[in-house]
Amino acid sequence: MADDRRAFLVATARAAGLGAPMLALLAGTAAPARSEENDLAILSAALMLEHHAVALYGHGLQGSLFPPGLRAYATEFRGDHQGHRDTQVAILEERGAAAPASRSDYDFAGLPAGDAFIRAALEIEVAAQRAYTALISGIRTNDYLLSAAFILIDEVRHTTVWRRVLGLEIYSASGR
Amino acid sequence: MSHLPPTRRPVLKALLATPLLSAAGRAEARDYTSAAEVLAEVDRLEADLDERLSLLSAGLPAAAPLAHGILADHARHREARVSLRRRLHLPGSNVDRPAPPERRGPATIEALRARCEELVHAYAEGLPALGDRVAVDVLAHAMVDDARHLAILQMWNEAEQGG
Repeated sequence: MADDRRAFLVATARAAGLGAPMLALLAGTAAPARSEENDLAILSAALMLEHHAVALYGHGLQGSLFPPGLRAYATEFRGDHQGHRDTQVAILEERGAAAPASRSDYDFAGLPAGDAFIRAALEIEVAAQRAYTALISGIRTNDYLLSAAFILIDEVRHTTVWRRVLGLEIYSASGR
Repeated sequence: MSHLPPTRRPVLKALLATPLLSAAGRAEARDYTSAAEVLAEVDRLEADLDERLSLLSAGLPAAAPLAHGILADHARHREARVSLRRRLHLPGSNVDRPAPPERRGPATIEALRARCEELVHAYAEGLPALGDRVAVDVLAHAMVDDARHLAILQMWNEAEQGG
């Protein structure tokens, strides 16, 4: 991963409340071991990103910050993130671990309506997509691996839709 | 031709609570039992999708850039699977390319979207059967590419249906 993309991912993950060990994995300064402990760390990190996304979409929908024609997408994507959140809470609890709660100090107050807010949504989607892509091979258990794969598919859809809305490239003929 | 898997199982009970039908909200998944089975299914679905993409771009020039880009991605993915098969000591692919005319399906956007969705789900459902961290990483990256193709085809299909 290029340095600027890695820095962006770490910054967004830090804002979502991820702890130092997971930030080190995302920064590429530590290699994830396939262990139960690592599964739980990945679950907790992913859950913090989902909390962040649910809160951001909730703020945007409540404050009518998404353009009217895009509210349906925002509502759909918030629902996806709520489903991802609930899934990962259930997996953590099934394994006897405590699920981290959402932060109480998200600071979305300065985000303006319209494209700027969609860019904020895109940032958390890109961070989630990159985090799941980077960490998925470190997942040890089959049920969580399967679940993470389907969650990743959702994140790619969200990212692609917002990129198209913002007029950003969604496909290059070079294949990348 | 039926390609339904022999067995289905719940993905995760908690996902049933998902309020909207998302990829992660699918209630059932195919149980793959080996890396060879996963790679063979990906080969088959990808080859079918490629055939339909080629037909589409021949009949609809506006679709050609996207089709060529997807085909280029698939060529990279195929190369990666060749390496994976070597790594996992598996025999090579036996999928016909191109498929015989009698096995070619329709090349509508909806047909492409449906086939691409099957391919993406095959990747996702296949990851747990790979049993190899490098293989999971390689196929997960290919899955991300095809999930992006799927999202584009979904938007195209929605636009067509919306008028």
